[in-house]
Amino acid sequence: MTAIRTTLTAIVNNPYLVGAFVVALAAGAGWMSSGTIHVLSFVLISIIFALSINLLTGLAGQISLGHAGLFGMGAYVTGILAKTYGLPILLAIPFGALAAALVGYLLSFPAGRVRDVYLAMMTLGFGMIFFEIVREWNSVTGGMMGLSGVPSPTLRTLKILGYRIDEVWFFRGILLVTVLTLWIMRNVTQSRIGRAFFAIHHSEIAAGSLGISRAGTKQFAYVLSGLLAGLSGGIYAHLVGYLGPDSFTLNRSIEVLVIAIVGGLGSIAGQVLSATLFTFLPETLQVFSEYQFIVYGIILTFSLIVLPQGIAGLLLLPPRFIQAGSLARLRAGTGSKTMTASSQMGGLLEVDGLTKRFGGLTALNNVTLNLKPGHITALVGPNGSGKSTLVNVISGIYPPTEGKVLFKGNDITGLPDHKIARTGIVRTFQDPRLVPNFTVRENLLLGAHRLMTHSGFASALALPLATREEAAYLARIDRIMELTELTPTADQTVDSLPYGYRRLAEVARALVASPSAILLDEPAAGLSEIEMEHLSRIIRRMKEMGLTIMLIDHHMDFLAELVDDVVVLDSGKVIYRGTIDGMRADRTVINAYLGEEEAVHA
Amino acid sequence: MTTFLSLVLAGVSVGAVYALVALGLNVTFWTTKTLNFGHGSLMMFCAMLMVYFASQGLVLALAAVLSLLVIAAFGIFIERFTVRPALKTNNSMGWVVSTLGFGIVLQGVAAKLFGSQAVAFPSILFDSEDFVTIFGLHVSLQYLVVLGLSVFLVVVLEAFLRLTRWGQAVRAVSHDPELGRVNGMPVNAIIVGSFVLSALLGGAAGLLVSQIGGTVDPAFGFNLVLFGFVAAVVGGMGSSVGALVGGIALGVLSKLIGGYVASAAEQPVAFAILMLMLALRPNGLLAQAEATKA
Repeated sequence: MTAIRTTLTAIVNNPYLVGAFVVALAAGAGWMSSGTIHVLSFVLISIIFALSINLLTGLAGQISLGHAGLFGMGAYVTGILAKTYGLPILLAIPFGALAAALVGYLLSFPAGRVRDVYLAMMTLGFGMIFFEIVREWNSVTGGMMGLSGVPSPTLRTLKILGYRIDEVWFFRGILLVTVLTLWIMRNVTQSRIGRAFFAIHHSEIAAGSLGISRAGTKQFAYVLSGLLAGLSGGIYAHLVGYLGPDSFTLNRSIEVLVIAIVGGLGSIAGQVLSATLFTFLPETLQVFSEYQFIVYGIILTFSLIVLPQGIAGLLLLPPRFIQAGSLARLRAGTGSKTMTASSQMGGLLEVDGLTKRFGGLTALNNVTLNLKPGHITALVGPNGSGKSTLVNVISGIYPPTEGKVLFKGNDITGLPDHKIARTGIVRTFQDPRLVPNFTVRENLLLGAHRLMTHSGFASALALPLATREEAAYLARIDRIMELTELTPTADQTVDSLPYGYRRLAEVARALVASPSAILLDEPAAGLSEIEMEHLSRIIRRMKEMGLTIMLIDHHMDFLAELVDDVVVLDSGKVIYRGTIDGMRADRTVINAYLGEEEAVHA
Repeated sequence: MTTFLSLVLAGVSVGAVYALVALGLNVTFWTTKTLNFGHGSLMMFCAMLMVYFASQGLVLALAAVLSLLVIAAFGIFIERFTVRPALKTNNSMGWVVSTLGFGIVLQGVAAKLFGSQAVAFPSILFDSEDFVTIFGLHVSLQYLVVLGLSVFLVVVLEAFLRLTRWGQAVRAVSHDPELGRVNGMPVNAIIVGSFVLSALLGGAAGLLVSQIGGTVDPAFGFNLVLFGFVAAVVGGMGSSVGALVGGIALGVLSKLIGGYVASAAEQPVAFAILMLMLALRPNGLLAQAEATKA
């Protein structure tokens, strides 16, 4: 089975084979029947549309039950511009796509604030309202009667620059557009943008801690997804020449969701296969078209449980998320030499009178402490004493109720988490929050997200500018993997690794981010003795590099060898500050946290 | 003025149905933090089944009870085969898609069994012509029954939650299912029960709405779920009283807009409310902000 997958994946990824197939299709179109060309054109439209929902739902993890609204927006704007205002197709379709992108942008504001069920309902509502508006707005959309007379190759009314375009040439045109779209989507998926989409998909908080703006990233996903849906809608409008509201109902949103899920969310090749399958099936199988929606319903009910990776998971190897070009440069050693000046120098982190209340509960009560560069400060205390809350407030996940946080003398109180990360404060989590279907290397590259300077445009076209910079960071990641002894696991996906490796990978990812200060929230929890020693070597290295380090942990022996000083929290208050030996003798700490035995033990 | 008052009354009554839908969504939200995206199909299926049973010569009351029983069975099926496996996969998208999928299956099956045309719904208690006169206004008795029944159900549910042992168990499970399990609560039974209750509420809402509208067709219900959800969000997700207040507020507002502006504006307005609520007060107008642990 794996052998078949490997072969199929090699075929799908081989540019010459794919290119030859596309050329053969374009050339062969001249001999095909008009009916076949028509269906094939629908396949292409369906592919672009499926890529659109795959980007939003599969990559960025934002479910959409109203994608027909974006598709329809592109179709109607294109149709109206072409028919009512006589705009040529080469302008009408881009405007249609832009209009849908604009709708996606607007949609991202309420959508950015909600998740799960709220998002699903909201998008469902969006689709329904789009349908209602199109049906009722007679003067513009033609209402129930629809909008006919959009220039179309089928009706022989379509002209580009004065030349009449027949179905065959129209098909060749959209084939070109589809191939370009596929190529760009592949590049985007394997770029910092695509990886950021996956990061917010799996943990928005972890993404924020790496300097990835969740609002901005989601917004971008909505815009891109809207653009693609609008593009396919615009092509659709010109292909069929008639737009009626019934083409943009909930059923079409369901259909594209089915295509995306069956194809395998996150897989581009899967979308192509699935879109082809679901366009041909109703055309060729009468029984299928009769029971179409019952079948769709059954697929939706069981597919994510039975076949969560879709046909792509069945037939192909899982997709990878680093440009082959960047990896080739890494091996050849031709990465760029100039990296963003790393802010490796530690800085003073001052917490001043910090208080955090949740409703009536005071989780942090007037906490003041200083973390110095090249200095390891342990933060200890019983469960629920506010240690994690303190890390969460410093790293910007919660705004403080009162008090200030200063870093390198700048006030960073209340900044959103990704901005705090960009000042050079990076953290890890109690439960490792990596992207499970990424390899260790891909996860580590996420750490470099905030440092990369190449534009989205460069990564979408896989320009040397982008691959050179990625190769430079990949080279650094190789060194960090060596330091953290993760090299043997570099190309294994995180979900296949034991817990200890995930912890280390998260610490390594934080290091890749070139932090000035690092906050480690129980990095040793669940590690074996050997792994713990390993971890303390890494933390010592960080200290040598001059980082400002805060370390939360419960293992006193582990801490004793490592830390310079200790801060003890109890019920949100600092009850001790000083050396670890002093702490062990301190009555208050013994009563609140250590207990008699530990004190005697010391 | 009379127009205004009758619009308000119609709104209150329709809003009571939204409240019922919202309650149905809330019940499963309590126990599993999920809700059934195919809820509308349950409403539709119940009404269509009832029409079918009635057409076979069954007494109306019996037809209603029978169709509610079938819907309750669907509730068990939905929990067992769409929600439970999806919750195990740790993918928040899973149950949205699977419950929606089951709703679509039901819709397709209904169209196959009963045809896709709208069918007339029999008058169960009162005819659409029956009315009483209150303060000089003709008030449809059907509207009053719908309102009365909705308020009754809200009161019963609140009483159940606050006063009975089972109700407290439901609240405990909604707070922390693991803790409930450890303490020996029949967590699974409570969850299944919540889906049955939700399905029954959906079925009842379906019968009541069809009674007001007079007809039912397989496509019916999806829009109502959206309205019900807006009501639930306005009132604060999970709150019974909130559902009633939110439902009635939404009903009145949409009827007023429908009456004074254009009936086609009802849905866009509901949607706009949903957007605003999600953007500004996602926890509802009545609820306080909930603190979640990161």
